[in-house]
Amino acid sequence: MSAPVVETHALAKTYRLAPVLREVNIRLMAGRGAFIIGGNGAGKSTLLRILAGLEAPSDGRAIVFGNDTRKLGPRYRRRIGMMAHQSFLYPNLTARENLEFYAELYSIADPVAAASLWLERVGLAGSADARVRDLSRGMEQRLSAARAMLADPTLLLLDEPFAALDAEGVSLVASLIHSAIERGASILATAHSVPELDGLEFEVFELSHGRLMPYAPKEEVRRGGRFRSILGR
Amino acid sequence: MDTATRDYLTPDPLPSVSQTRGKGNNRGSWFGFATLALMIAALFMIFDYVPTEIDEGIVQRIFYFHVPCAWVAFAAFGLVAVAGMLYLWLGDQIWDDLGYAGAETGMIFCTLMLVSGSLWARPIWGVWWTWDSRLTTTFILWLMYCGYLMIRASADDTPQIARFAAVVGIVAALDVPIVIVSVRLWRTIHPAVLVTKQGGHGLQDPRMIATLLVSLAAMTALWGWLLMIRFAQLRTRTRLNTVAMQIEFAHAAAGDQRPIG
Amino acid sequence: MSAFAAVIRKDLRLELRGGQSILALLAMSMLVLVVLVFALDAARIRSADTAAGALWVAMVFSGIVGATRALGAERENGAIRGLLLSPLDPATLYAAKLAAAFIFMAVAEAGAVILMVLFFNLEFNASLVRLAPVLMLGALGFSALATLLSAATGHTRAGDMILPVLAVPMFTPALIAGVKASTAALSGASLGSMSDWLKIMIAFDVLFITAGYLLFEHVVGED
Repeated sequence: MSAPVVETHALAKTYRLAPVLREVNIRLMAGRGAFIIGGNGAGKSTLLRILAGLEAPSDGRAIVFGNDTRKLGPRYRRRIGMMAHQSFLYPNLTARENLEFYAELYSIADPVAAASLWLERVGLAGSADARVRDLSRGMEQRLSAARAMLADPTLLLLDEPFAALDAEGVSLVASLIHSAIERGASILATAHSVPELDGLEFEVFELSHGRLMPYAPKEEVRRGGRFRSILGR
Repeated sequence: MDTATRDYLTPDPLPSVSQTRGKGNNRGSWFGFATLALMIAALFMIFDYVPTEIDEGIVQRIFYFHVPCAWVAFAAFGLVAVAGMLYLWLGDQIWDDLGYAGAETGMIFCTLMLVSGSLWARPIWGVWWTWDSRLTTTFILWLMYCGYLMIRASADDTPQIARFAAVVGIVAALDVPIVIVSVRLWRTIHPAVLVTKQGGHGLQDPRMIATLLVSLAAMTALWGWLLMIRFAQLRTRTRLNTVAMQIEFAHAAAGDQRPIG
Repeated sequence: MSAFAAVIRKDLRLELRGGQSILALLAMSMLVLVVLVFALDAARIRSADTAAGALWVAMVFSGIVGATRALGAERENGAIRGLLLSPLDPATLYAAKLAAAFIFMAVAEAGAVILMVLFFNLEFNASLVRLAPVLMLGALGFSALATLLSAATGHTRAGDMILPVLAVPMFTPALIAGVKASTAALSGASLGSMSDWLKIMIAFDVLFITAGYLLFEHVVGED
């Protein structure tokens, strides 16, 4: 029985006395994936930021790779890959330069080769030397996915990874997620609604009123909708 | 991934009303009376007991206000820096409250020192302000106090702001020695009646030294008393915030489904 | 070490791509010098004192403007979060940011010196060579100070007023020493004669670089 990759105990977060997260308890094991559904302002991004170590919880604990997220050392941060609403990319640098920069930050042996490889993988080889500010939102999102995954992270924190992507982009990112899981990575992703992803086994949860609970859309079950969810447990 | 809930620990019980009276307040009053006594003693000594200085006349008596204010202003700044270091190291809000209280109270004495310095300069040197080394250094200190308080006043009380203030307090305090050296090298026309580095001083009469010491004690006591009051206020505010959060979490544990915000 | 170099290279590259930091520093320096020419009626005098003083006024104010813009590039698209998320440790990030800020300021100062010679009736001679180390020490100290402070000033409501209110008093020792040493250099004095002032500047630089290196992690980032 190995240790969970991500664990939280009664995690809570308030901004100026307004609660955003209340009593969130998570146990995510290696090689597993989960989607968290919730509306705008539900706290999904906050939760991911806390798990990434970018913010501290107001109460409770968040533990990633066995370490408190407030004290994540570089060895563990190297193993986390994150996608957010913001792309973390420099608009005045080219796609290639951005990836090479991040590759160097993550101490990848051959940053130039890694950048080229990932540009291919996300279908941006043709726009490699275009500045990020000149890319479309969808292309920027794909580049952001490349940035998140180029260091082969074992934990992927993806905040609405399919936003602004066309069908081709969605299947591309989905296949990247799939490969990551096959390599044994864990995924925690968020979305507004349950994504339609064939071939991906995910548990789906809902973040509502700051609490995390299994997603149980009864209408969809009755309609026989296409989503995979393990209810209850 | 499972989302099993767990028993939520009950928050700290609020102190009963009878517990809030008494100890803290009594200590404050005792200290306040001691401060008052010291100040009365100091005032008597400054205006009646100590002999008039030969060179500067009656105006020289400002010296016995001016110098203790300076001492307090610098000491308070040191306190802000130490509290800042403890806050960054230990993370406990109590150190941040102490630093903030220290800065506010220290600012008062820094301002008083500048004003008394100006009032002194006018009859003695004929100008309202002079850039001699001690006044200049204190003015720079005053500006750094302003900056610190501006940080505090300009934003909500997040841990982030508290950390920024702590860093500024530390760095500014470390800067002060360099400021002193550079300003001293730059200019010195302060009268030799003040205690200098060599240990000598222009205070001829032992009564002058006694008055200075009593005034020093009185000013320090006054600062300490103001500090205690302000610190207690900030602690109360921190506790109220904590209790508010605990109520929120208790609601959460009870399964409260109220919407966010 | 390579992450450190990567960040500096990235900042230099961004600057060359139209970052406009050096441009802003130079523009502000020139404007300040012009104002001082008229304010001090510098046209009719030839004085190392005045010129040195004017140069340092220009340096401080353009430095403040430059620092206010400095972290702007990282705020776009949340790149600062990408940096904080990465294995890069905050102290190294500080060192890299400091180095980039220093390079920009040094380049802009070179331009300001040329303007100073022109506006304040000085000569292009060996005195400028003795001036260079003084200005470098000043730029280094200011960059160390400004990089540390500007990381956190974005979170306060006072906005861009708070950086000058903090930076100016803290920079005073370096300013005093810098002007004195610059005046001496421009008057033809040797570096040995201004050693006291140089020692103050070096102490200042050491203090702020060390403090920044150790304390940057507490001010950077958003919580």
